[in-house]
Amino acid sequence: MMLLRLLSWPYLRRHLLRWILTVAGIVLGVGVFVAMHTANRSIFRAFDTTIDRIAGTTQLQVSAGEFGFDESILERVQSVPEVGVAVPVVEATVDPNIPGQGSLLILGIDMTGDRSLRDYELTDADQAIIDDPLVFLAQPDSLMVTTEFAERNHLAVNSKVQLATIEGNREFTIRGLMSSAGMTRAFGGNLAVMDIYAAQQILGRGRRFDRIDVRAKEGVTIDDGQAALKAALGPAFDVDPPSARGRHFEALLQSYSTAMMISSLFALMVGMFIIYNSFAIAVTHRRSEIGVLRALGATRHQIQTLFLVESIIAGTLGSVLGAAVGITAALVIAQWISSVLETAGGVAQRVTELEVDPTLIAAGVMAGITTSVVAAWIPARNAARVDPVQALQKGKYQVLSMGENRRRRWMALTAFLIASVCLLLSDSKPLFYTGYLAMMGAGLLLAPALTLFLSKGLRPVLRRLLPAEGTLAADSLVEAPRRTSATVSALMLSLAMVVGFGGFAHSFYSSIREWMDNALNPDFFVAPSENLATRSLTFPAEISSVIERVDGVDQVQVVRDARVTYHGVPVMVIAIETEKVASTVHRTPVAGSLEEMNRLTAEGKGLFVSESFATNLKTKMGDVVELPTPSGLLKLPIVGIIRDYSDLRGSLFIDRSVYRAWWKDDTVNIARVYVRKGQNVEAVRQRVIQTLSSRYRLLVLTNREVRDWIMKLLDQWFGMTYNQIVVAVLVAVLGIVNTLTVSITDRKRELGVMQAVGGLRNQIRWTVWIEALTIGVMGLILGTCLGAVNLYYTLGMIKRDLGGIGLDYIFPSAFMMLMVPIILGAAWIAALGPGEAAVRGSLVEALEYE
Amino acid sequence: MVSLTHVSKIFDGKRKATALEDIDLHIDKGHMVSIVGPSGSGKSTLLNLIGGLDRPTSGDIRIDGENLSELSDDDLTRVRRDKIGFVFQFFNLLPTLNCLENVALPLHLRKWPRRKIEDRAQELLNLVQLGHRLEHLPDELSGGERQRVAIARALSVYPPILLADEPTGNLDTKTGQEILKLVDDLHARLGATILIVTHDSEVAERCSRTVVLRDGRIVEDRRQ
Repeated sequence: MMLLRLLSWPYLRRHLLRWILTVAGIVLGVGVFVAMHTANRSIFRAFDTTIDRIAGTTQLQVSAGEFGFDESILERVQSVPEVGVAVPVVEATVDPNIPGQGSLLILGIDMTGDRSLRDYELTDADQAIIDDPLVFLAQPDSLMVTTEFAERNHLAVNSKVQLATIEGNREFTIRGLMSSAGMTRAFGGNLAVMDIYAAQQILGRGRRFDRIDVRAKEGVTIDDGQAALKAALGPAFDVDPPSARGRHFEALLQSYSTAMMISSLFALMVGMFIIYNSFAIAVTHRRSEIGVLRALGATRHQIQTLFLVESIIAGTLGSVLGAAVGITAALVIAQWISSVLETAGGVAQRVTELEVDPTLIAAGVMAGITTSVVAAWIPARNAARVDPVQALQKGKYQVLSMGENRRRRWMALTAFLIASVCLLLSDSKPLFYTGYLAMMGAGLLLAPALTLFLSKGLRPVLRRLLPAEGTLAADSLVEAPRRTSATVSALMLSLAMVVGFGGFAHSFYSSIREWMDNALNPDFFVAPSENLATRSLTFPAEISSVIERVDGVDQVQVVRDARVTYHGVPVMVIAIETEKVASTVHRTPVAGSLEEMNRLTAEGKGLFVSESFATNLKTKMGDVVELPTPSGLLKLPIVGIIRDYSDLRGSLFIDRSVYRAWWKDDTVNIARVYVRKGQNVEAVRQRVIQTLSSRYRLLVLTNREVRDWIMKLLDQWFGMTYNQIVVAVLVAVLGIVNTLTVSITDRKRELGVMQAVGGLRNQIRWTVWIEALTIGVMGLILGTCLGAVNLYYTLGMIKRDLGGIGLDYIFPSAFMMLMVPIILGAAWIAALGPGEAAVRGSLVEALEYE
Repeated sequence: MVSLTHVSKIFDGKRKATALEDIDLHIDKGHMVSIVGPSGSGKSTLLNLIGGLDRPTSGDIRIDGENLSELSDDDLTRVRRDKIGFVFQFFNLLPTLNCLENVALPLHLRKWPRRKIEDRAQELLNLVQLGHRLEHLPDELSGGERQRVAIARALSVYPPILLADEPTGNLDTKTGQEILKLVDDLHARLGATILIVTHDSEVAERCSRTVVLRDGRIVEDRRQ
């Protein structure tokens, strides 16, 4: 403590700016970590809350994916002896036509039986409704909303609400307000309850239910109830506790969560280099101080402890601040991700409050402190090894020893060899990731030697460009390899991440464009909702013939898709009119012949799957897929694997005839409409709207609009990733500021001499700027190289564990070209402050500076 | 050539310290003047003010009739690089630049053509008898050689004024003598106005005029 007070505190005060920058590195790293995890957790929590609240005292839920099932199943469930209460549910989100309110979660229930499962405590309603739910049912336009929703929108009992239903906008009357307790916390309060038969009608369900909520008979355990129901219903139905829906949601979000975790770890690692840099510089600066201490009897252990305690203090301060920043940012991020999920996945959840997990915060703080200590470990050990005699001598002290360089190069070579071996055996998951880490490690270990090599290599170039300023800037980099290489490493790591994600995004965008060109080629699409991902509204089958009769329409292909759980993975079943689709769509086959797979699928003798399905479910050509359907287990062999991005977890394509036969459902999600040659697309579109709008709520989207919608979704999906990249680059820029702040201190005398012999202020500024720009150039060169490797592993990781999507390796050259001005601009901005500091000080002091 | 009128310099730290007080000094062109006095008498401060490295708290300093107090920082730098050469006690050579590059530095800052810079730097290093050490780094030179390089750098544009702050202070006696001989020789050949701050009486005796400072004031102005 005494050493801390006497030595560390005065040093900290003298170099406050640098310490603030160091701590800022940790703040950003921990902030991103806490924000992303808290946001993810809050989204899961919001989803779970919605499920919990809606579930009431439900113990088990019977479902068959998003397709739902026939009403007759209810009787089969109720006839199971172990079942106490079984009530049907239809659930969907609809637009309440209230600006700024988003969607309203409609719960269609059977009021007569449902009260035994859910508590509809009404704070305001006609007494008749409270006393007898049949009064509610007798009026098919009845709706109950939560008090929160009513208050937010100034609604009361008997107020009217326009709901966007499958039959167009329909007016509903609020007959009751549900109290704040119980269900009203579901979906952020945007919840409405209506009679199930009204819900079936307005949501296009026909005579189908989405699920049946069950409570077991008194004395029957949940497990027994589940087993009995499974036995009675067969494999076509899922019988799970309500919480299982949360698990499916988590599975849906798995790739996103993993990507977030990786990028927050990257941010922490970049932060680690900033801390390492700061401590390495501090040890160098305080070398004579350490020498004096050692001469006065301080042990190596005491010196090492002194630096480690400093790192713990910096780490704790940065981590606590980072956690606070992260929590503050988490709600905004959570709401943003939540809206993306609702748009992209059609998943109903709404984040209104944060789920702050003390364990997560503690983990974030511990990660920050650990990162800080790990980063400070080598500088602290070097401080302990300082030879007191040499330390008290003046002269060069930053040069990396040959031994240290050689040792690093050997370690890098070893890591590279390990990575190469792992690459050959990359079928094994642990070896793939070991190889990834080893390759990144090799890059980082080589970074100091490469930085020195590049600094020396760039000296003649800089000298030619600006003889005085360029030479001095290059020399400054060469003479302080520790200072330079740690910053270049941080920048390199940031850029490697940028190339990895940027390349992934580039490949993904390019694959999606190719897929859209091949598969999404109708002139327009007719859907029941503006959100194509929402599958809770469906058209009746007749829509196909109605559209076909419209003048100018050449062909209509109807599609019914829904998510089902296959072997625990939520995948998409897409029922298509295979023959029709084959005549207009030319997909990219990954395995099998396109003609053969189309023929067999159309004949009902097989199905084809997306590449992601094949990877995620570890299936191949010829494997038999067993799909649970309301009519039993549908077994079809895989007759083809195609590249398809309809759903990232995986898609199965079956013929519509097979779907109708096995699911007993002929509803439609989307109609793909082709216009006859020579016809004006817009005119035909208007005719379709005119014909259908009186009967259905519908949205007719042109090919361009659908493409734009998909691209917007992608932009939103990648938006958060780009934000993380910004954070990582920001952390790296902090490193540059840190390095330059130290550099101008180290070169105070040199810059003073330059001014004394005639250097103008701008020339001094340029010296500092060139140093920063050179760091940027070296970071760009090394970052591009490591990024090219990182991209290879990123694509491998995505194919293997994050969605199973096979993407071509396309180096994002244009993206990197864009990064050049960004990084150099950031480096220059980072150099502005230090550049000004360099010209503002006293010249006399500078010339006397030791 | 150099004219100081009522020049004072007060350092405004925690406590005010008067380094120079009401200095009036006029130095003619081509003269070699020594400034002597005990430590803390204000010798270096006076040299820094004349050299435009620092600004006076009050009073005027004129170089060739140009009032330094009225100049912006960059204009002051221009005066310094065109009219003044500095020689420091601790040489202040840039350790990463070789002899040729150190001498060439002020010329590069003036944006001279490369060929001309190289010729001038070689010429100057030959003048200080270091023509054979062009590629050597300062670390590879003796103290005397470093000071020669510093002198060559100070003379790079043949400035009309050469300011030397304890040029022999960091050298042994023999090397110091050699450097003084070189300065004498250059003075004779180039005719520059030279101001040398020193506490070495032998150095002072070589100059035609000696200004003695004590507690920030001129207490004696001897001419030989």
